[in-house]
Amino acid sequence: MPYDYKKIPANLAISVQDLSIEYKVNVENKVTLKNLLIRSTKGERTKTKDVKALQKISFDINHGSVVGIIGANGAGKSSLMRSIAGILPPSDGRVIVNGKVSTLLALGVGFNQALSGRDNIILGGLAAGLSRSEIEEKMEEIINFAALPEGFIDLPVRTYSSGMYSRVAFSVSTALNPDILLLDEALSTGDAVFKEKSFNKMRELCKSARTIVIVSHGLSTIEALCNEVIWLEKGKIIKKGSPEIVVKEYLEYLKIGKLPTSLEDF
Amino acid sequence: MVESDFEKDKENTPGEVLYADYKNVKIFEKHKNNLPNLKIYLSDFWRRKVFSLELARFSDKAEYLGSKLGKSWLVLNPLLLALVYFLLVLVIRGGGTKEAGLETLAKILIGLFTFYFAQNCINDGAQSITSGGKLILNQSFPLTLLPLSSMIKSLWQYIPTIPVYFIVIFIGRLFIPDANIILLSKSLIATPYVLICLFIISFGLSLIFATINVYFRDTGKLLTYITRIWLYATPVLWSSDILKGWHKLIVDLNPLGSVISSVTSIWVDGKLPTSENLLAMSLWAVFLLIIGGYIFISRERDFAVRL
Repeated sequence: MPYDYKKIPANLAISVQDLSIEYKVNVENKVTLKNLLIRSTKGERTKTKDVKALQKISFDINHGSVVGIIGANGAGKSSLMRSIAGILPPSDGRVIVNGKVSTLLALGVGFNQALSGRDNIILGGLAAGLSRSEIEEKMEEIINFAALPEGFIDLPVRTYSSGMYSRVAFSVSTALNPDILLLDEALSTGDAVFKEKSFNKMRELCKSARTIVIVSHGLSTIEALCNEVIWLEKGKIIKKGSPEIVVKEYLEYLKIGKLPTSLEDF
Repeated sequence: MVESDFEKDKENTPGEVLYADYKNVKIFEKHKNNLPNLKIYLSDFWRRKVFSLELARFSDKAEYLGSKLGKSWLVLNPLLLALVYFLLVLVIRGGGTKEAGLETLAKILIGLFTFYFAQNCINDGAQSITSGGKLILNQSFPLTLLPLSSMIKSLWQYIPTIPVYFIVIFIGRLFIPDANIILLSKSLIATPYVLICLFIISFGLSLIFATINVYFRDTGKLLTYITRIWLYATPVLWSSDILKGWHKLIVDLNPLGSVISSVTSIWVDGKLPTSENLLAMSLWAVFLLIIGGYIFISRERDFAVRL
């Protein structure tokens, strides 16, 4: 299908079109040359299983919106996020991304444990394509926002608690001035104070027409922040719409109703 | 996955719907193991070159954090190995004059130091993708930056070994003044070219092995044997002029053969590299950069799936 590349509206942030992601996972532990040799002498083939992470899903997200993605484990949420970030290639279909993307796709990812928080901030910024001086400029802002206990920023990251981890990671990803911010379970370990702070930060980003996509199992987070929710199940979109409706139906599907426990953020 | 550029679509007609700035738009589509748009890829790569540099510096820092002695092993290790090989060569040869002994030591030292660089670069580079898994799964960036960072790290470990070579030989010559070793000569001008070829050859090979390692995780084990055989096929423990007839091909067909033999000829014999060696190393550098780059870049979008 020919696509008219000229007609991408300026207010379109992300367009996912008939996106499918499939990959093979090896059933055995490790693929090694040794195993390959042994198997080829026996005339066997590697045992693999096809995983259909996403099946022909489509949606558009406009700039300035906060979109939540909900669904059970293995529904394809993380695969969707990674393909929007350009990390996982589509098996079929197309993803159009308009703007600079910043990612926080899994907790503690991209951190070198032996290095200090400060060093990791520099590395993270450089990997995201910032220059050294741009990072130096933002360093204070990042450190202040993360608000770690005194002196921790210069200690190795392995000494951090998981909450401190996510504080630094979140501060870095929002300080990069992204047009599109992708957050995967980023807020689950922060305490109430930091959570409130990060909510405010995200609302602030939204006001300046930035786009945020959040994956979370914390349904109250989703309801508090998002203006649209996508419910994924087994790689397909079950429902898309306003948070109240979709979250309610999702809870009904889970057959637990709107119980306080499932609304609590962990 | 195609990252199209919108060079042709620069002009948006005024008065109509506002269209997105082509520079900010990325499009990911299905791909078959072909190359992505190299113009975009290389500009992305170039924009983040500092990342490679800093990653090398930081991983070096993390490895030797709080261990000052640890770092000295980087020099001690090849130095002691060189002494072991020196003894071996001496025994096989059945002794000889002091002068010939020092010359042999000089050749083994500089040859081994240089070979070590290539070996470190390839071993480290081969692991760079599989060990960088978390970084790769969190962010999209040209993955060639990771093997590049391994090369820079190996380079920093190689640089301090060169003054060590000069010091050892300088001291040796105080005791054995008649040894025929010319440390400083006009032929030093060929050094930058030879080293650049060395870097490109090692980088190209590390791209190839990094790719293989993603598909077969025991490549590292195989590499230890490959590098060992490779060391013996490289004029480090022997000099290339002992080869006669078609055996000379061993030096030319070995990606490092011409480089190592040129390094010894510059820093031990004080002679310019032969034109045959210069041709061989240039061809190897170009060949391995293209082949390694093609294999790696055309596959790298699949790496995330396999980590």
